[in-house]
Amino acid sequence: MDETVAEFIKRTILKIPMTEMMTILKAWDFLPENQLQTVNFRQRKESLVQDLVLLCENKRASLRDAALLDIIYTQFHRHQKVWDVFQMSKEPGEDVDLFDMEQFKSSFEKILRRALKNVTVSFRDAEENAVWIRIAWGTQYRKPNQYKPVFVVYYSQTPYAFTSFCHLKSNTPLLSQALTVASNHHKIVKMDLRSRYLDSLKAIVFKQYNQKFETHNSTMPLQENLELDMHMDSRIIHENRIEKERVQRVTQETFGDYPQPRLEFAQYKLETKFKSDFHGGILAERKEPLRCLIKFSSPHLLEALKSLAPAGIADAPLSPLLTCIPNKGMNYFKIRDK
Amino acid sequence: MEWANDKSKGGVLAHLERLETQMSRSCKNLEDPPRETAESDLGTKIRKLRCLRDKLRAEVKQRQARIKASTANAEPDQTLEISEQEAVGGKEENMKAILQAYRFTGINLFASGLSGKRTSRGVCVCISTAFEGNLLDSYFVDLVIQKPLRIHHHSVPVFIPLEEISAKYLQTNIQHFLFCLCEYLNAYAGRKYQADQLQRDFAAFLAGPLQRNSLCNLLSFTYKVEPQSRSFPFCARLLYKDLTTTLPTDVTITYQGTDASSTSWEEQRASHENLFFTKPLHQVFTSFARNGER
Repeated sequence: MDETVAEFIKRTILKIPMTEMMTILKAWDFLPENQLQTVNFRQRKESLVQDLVLLCENKRASLRDAALLDIIYTQFHRHQKVWDVFQMSKEPGEDVDLFDMEQFKSSFEKILRRALKNVTVSFRDAEENAVWIRIAWGTQYRKPNQYKPVFVVYYSQTPYAFTSFCHLKSNTPLLSQALTVASNHHKIVKMDLRSRYLDSLKAIVFKQYNQKFETHNSTMPLQENLELDMHMDSRIIHENRIEKERVQRVTQETFGDYPQPRLEFAQYKLETKFKSDFHGGILAERKEPLRCLIKFSSPHLLEALKSLAPAGIADAPLSPLLTCIPNKGMNYFKIRDK
Repeated sequence: MEWANDKSKGGVLAHLERLETQMSRSCKNLEDPPRETAESDLGTKIRKLRCLRDKLRAEVKQRQARIKASTANAEPDQTLEISEQEAVGGKEENMKAILQAYRFTGINLFASGLSGKRTSRGVCVCISTAFEGNLLDSYFVDLVIQKPLRIHHHSVPVFIPLEEISAKYLQTNIQHFLFCLCEYLNAYAGRKYQADQLQRDFAAFLAGPLQRNSLCNLLSFTYKVEPQSRSFPFCARLLYKDLTTTLPTDVTITYQGTDASSTSWEEQRASHENLFFTKPLHQVFTSFARNGER
């Protein structure tokens, strides 16, 4: 086995937490069950990894097998990557999409290889007719760098592809082209949507985040939702009860009853001219627009925004610039003067 | 003293007399009926008035709401009565019959609009899919009754061309929109059911996994027809170019066995092609299994 491959496997296995070790190795399915049982999983991690790498060497693990392990590790730790979303489109009046997964994979790889000799492409089928693609980029003269791969997740017959953040921006056009052509689309555009939470991104663009449907034939009283903690203690009178109920109602109308998809930030780039009533002020004469960047960060941005008005920190309804995020599928905004 | 000479006969004293008799007479009238009936009379009067007031209030509400609904729905669809006000207004029987007809085709309509929105009335459509008498998944489309009609949220899978169908029919013919969507969803559910059945019940006949895609409109697999046989001589590729059908539009069976010269293989291959064209996938394999048992 190639030394670089052995090193790569070793470093990948070292990343795996001990609690997940067995699960991931079983998912990899490269080392058979009986061999795994001969290994002592209670020893120190470094020694365990050495034993496992030895077994892999004996079985002549290839770069392909190592890449597959890397895909599986990333599938288990998808939050460690930041994911972008690309949207593809077809010409109107196109024929029905007869997507063939094997054709897609071979077409995708062919397009990359035609342009770049040194590239490692690996595939792993996933549930819901999706595929995870791992691409390690090289250059004309250098072998692919296995430690900085790009991952692409594509659900067949959908217009969206999710890619992990790539430092090498120069390869993005090639990747976009490969995706578009292989999946029978014509155009591809990068959406202004980015997050660590791949499943939330999927929920947003596939419009799966609101799956509550009212199927009652009688009118359901809203009052039961609005009761809050009004009846905690009868000795307490809420003077602003009406306003509180209004805020609660508006919040529910905007955000719904469902768990919000998870995003970590929303970013607004403003480019506006200074507007002032005072003529002759320093800024009033400025021809160039002012630029500023506003970033909202949170472990769970949309839930945080949802709780702003009920907590009394903001007025309800919130600005549509904040509430449109899942609907528009954007968390990057550029606001200019009209 | 002019008023002493006024029109009433007898002058002042006579007038005073008259007032006195009036007074005594009215006193008598008051004392005659018992006090309880007077009160109960008033009580019933009050109750009647209250009843009337409530009736009038309800009528005012109804009329207001009807006006609201009719202005929001400038082009009421003749065949599809959606608003609740119409039901209240006495057209309930008509609506029930229409909803019943829809229910038979797998479309259920619910009056919603209470997902937090009091301002716009909504309708939640539930499309139930079925294949060969088996009830499969249900899909929901929540519509907002506004001008223009729009979809609030839905549970239709992303690979079903919902945008296309709604762009074509939603604003002009909601009935057609629902039936068209129903067609696509039922066909998809039927194809998915066949593929799932094949994978689950006839895995022994397949070499390797069934190749499929999200819409289940391209299926590719390698199979055998004799359960005991060790080789998988046939390769099948089924294309469903019409997304509203559950049977393939293109079938390609290739024989990849070693005995290429024998004509019986060619006959089998041709007959398989015909089978896949005409029968659902899992039924084809059921017949293979049955023939294999003989």
